[in-house]
Amino acid sequence: MRHTILVATLIAVAPPAFAAPRVGVSAPAFTARDSNGKPVSLSQFRGKTVVLEWHNPGCPFVKKHYDGANMQRTQAAAASQGIVWLTVNSGAPGKQGHIDAAAANALVKSAKAQPASYILDPAGAVGRIYSASTTPEMFVIDPRGTLVYKGGTDDKPTANPADIPGARNHVLAALADIKAGKKVSVAETRSYGCSVKYAG
Amino acid sequence: MVRLFCICMTLFAAMLSAAPAQANNIAVSLVADRIDARGGGAATLAIVMRPKAGWHGYWKNPGDAGIETQAVWTLPSGMSAGPLQYPVPSTLLVGGLMNYVYEGDHALLVDLKLPQRVSAGQKLPVSVRLDWLACTKEICVPESGTFATTFIAGGPPGGDFARWRAAMPRPLAEDVRFAIDGSMVRIALPLPAAVPVDNAYFFPLTHKTLDYAAPQTVTREGDRLVVETRLAEGATLDKLEGVLRLVDGQGLLLSAQPGTVAPVSGGWVAAAGAILAALGAAVLGGLLLNIMPCVFPILSLKALSLARAGGDERTARREALAYAGGAILTCASLGGALLALRAGGSAAGWAFQLQNPWVIAALLLLVIAITLNFAGLFELPTFGGGEALVRSGGTGGAFWTGVLAAFVATPCTGPFMGVALGAALVLPTAAALAVFVGLGFGLALPFLLVGFVPALRRRLPKPGPWMDRFRKIMAVPMAATALALAWVLGRLAGVDAMALGIGAVLVLTLAFWWIGIRQAAGQARAWLPLSGALAVLALGTVVALRPAAPAIVAEPFSEARLAALSGEGRPVFVYFTADWCVTCKVNEKTAIERADVSAAFTRTKTAVLVGDWTRGDAAITRFLTTQGRSGVPLYLYYPAGATTPQILPQVLTVGTLTALGG
Repeated sequence: MRHTILVATLIAVAPPAFAAPRVGVSAPAFTARDSNGKPVSLSQFRGKTVVLEWHNPGCPFVKKHYDGANMQRTQAAAASQGIVWLTVNSGAPGKQGHIDAAAANALVKSAKAQPASYILDPAGAVGRIYSASTTPEMFVIDPRGTLVYKGGTDDKPTANPADIPGARNHVLAALADIKAGKKVSVAETRSYGCSVKYAG
Repeated sequence: MVRLFCICMTLFAAMLSAAPAQANNIAVSLVADRIDARGGGAATLAIVMRPKAGWHGYWKNPGDAGIETQAVWTLPSGMSAGPLQYPVPSTLLVGGLMNYVYEGDHALLVDLKLPQRVSAGQKLPVSVRLDWLACTKEICVPESGTFATTFIAGGPPGGDFARWRAAMPRPLAEDVRFAIDGSMVRIALPLPAAVPVDNAYFFPLTHKTLDYAAPQTVTREGDRLVVETRLAEGATLDKLEGVLRLVDGQGLLLSAQPGTVAPVSGGWVAAAGAILAALGAAVLGGLLLNIMPCVFPILSLKALSLARAGGDERTARREALAYAGGAILTCASLGGALLALRAGGSAAGWAFQLQNPWVIAALLLLVIAITLNFAGLFELPTFGGGEALVRSGGTGGAFWTGVLAAFVATPCTGPFMGVALGAALVLPTAAALAVFVGLGFGLALPFLLVGFVPALRRRLPKPGPWMDRFRKIMAVPMAATALALAWVLGRLAGVDAMALGIGAVLVLTLAFWWIGIRQAAGQARAWLPLSGALAVLALGTVVALRPAAPAIVAEPFSEARLAALSGEGRPVFVYFTADWCVTCKVNEKTAIERADVSAAFTRTKTAVLVGDWTRGDAAITRFLTTQGRSGVPLYLYYPAGATTPQILPQVLTVGTLTALGG
């Protein structure tokens, strides 16, 4: 237990020391609490595909995908395939987009979002482990626990919802590749959006 | 009620005018540069961006987060827009994420291709839709707008294009290398030691090359600047492009190719191998120096004197050690002087002595004095180094002979020591000194062996009258060294200087001849003629050498001056340089600023214009562009009456320049 606290402290204070996760290798493990107070571990979803979505409700680039219902459509498609969708908020207290558990649950409801869990990461520990730098930023982990996609939601780096219809949804494409038993064709892209509002 | 309504309306109207709806956090405006009524070519458009206090915009590669500015153009037919050109950005680290940003007013520049025909007064309206990201440390707002301006052919100049252009990174046409070492990468570029650098930082242009947030270590070693930082996770690089900030708001645009980059001073462990290799080469080189004509005579005589001293082991060892001490100390002192010069910002090579005509002349006279001494024209007095001490065989004498051997050896080092000395120049000071000590040790090694291995000494020839003959024969290689030095003097400072040098040799020879006569006659104060000779030489040097190499007279470049000189029917040599361009400086030292070239240009009445692009002068940038170049060096030759230049190679030689107009 003490060891875990030490590690968590290290994660919080020494962000650059952690190497970014690499596509094609095991996604790094984490345990965090969700908006219902339940602990969520990546390891408990072994055997299922997992999607991580970095979220900041105040970020215009996140709004682009929620106001245009693009993110909800993607979440619904994932849910229908039994895929675990975890939305992560690494915004530090006092910074844009930081929300508490009640606000998170209200937000999920009003936006008609369908994450399996909304993970609260105010210390930024999970964000640092994944080197998440923008919101939104997406990670797809296959049933064996291997990171198979990391990057942006799509290939149109703008905040304009009008760009969504003509864009390639990288997450849906990756999920389709996994379903077809193929290698994910676009496994890494440059994510775009606001910077994650970490503490410090 | 009506009155309240009125007040409300007034307030509302006031609010509207004070704060236009949705004011951008970065105010954007377009400024058109002046264009000629000729048409063709390109016109520059500035996108001036003024962030509110606390807000910033992004560089082309925004870093860990952020977005580059997007532009969609609406242009008259026949016009097209080039890429957005970004000024040198600054870093902004927020919550461990690195952003490459502009926190103050800045301008992006765009080159627009003009229609082939443009008449005076013609208006060319341009319009662009821009999407950019404005952020504070807390929030980001994507902003956009459509902006328009009009180019008027032959219209008045506007905006501050000189300043905006000066803020752009200058392309560096040098050999820039990067080497990957585990998760780290070292980037090395040639940059003259005299260029001021403060707060240097390498901004990578390509995503997933460098770990943006990792600290960067910048080291300068002479004419080399090395940036060391961490690679991005999973990065595979076949080249590395980016902007190196030299000082805030100024930088160089460069493209590094994979290669080898020697570790910087800090990397002692990694450098140990290189130090050992250089040390080994230095010892070997010192050893080889023993058979050079300028050292061998001294060594032979010293070895003979040891043999003559008889079988006393302790004396032999003491003398061998003293000789080694003298040789090593002299080499270390010369090395120390070189390192001091290096630290002083002067990029001197080991052969720096051989580039100064005064040093060459002094060495010439020294070697002639030794030649005459060996030839038996005069004898050295018993107070100092050289022959008399060789004879006296004392410990002090051995030390001074070592000093003499090492000092006289310096002109011979070039061909053998290039590698070790090159390494010494980039090694840390202590390691570099070790290389010089190695050089002295190698030089002293044969004598040490003779001193410590009696068997070797016993195989030396027995002393006898042949020794005097041998000493006189040794005067021949010494004279050959003098000949070589006279030739170097001629190459450096011209035939007049060589003649003056030989004249000095004559004066000195006469003086030593006279001294020899007085010594043979057993006169007291036999050395008196030397003071007279030195006085004559001192007088001679005041008038000698100096006027032999008149500097090239170059005027500052301007297109108007170029046109005027061409109009006079004169051939013109134009060169463009910058303080941060090593290739430029080397060409100037080795080819342009040479006596032969100066003489040839004077003969052909060739005018010389120099354009200094150190600070990215806008007029020069424009001229370089018309010549199809984006950077320096550039060497142009306009034959008499010609309007189009001959483009000369980037590596100049004296021969190339003297052949012009010939």
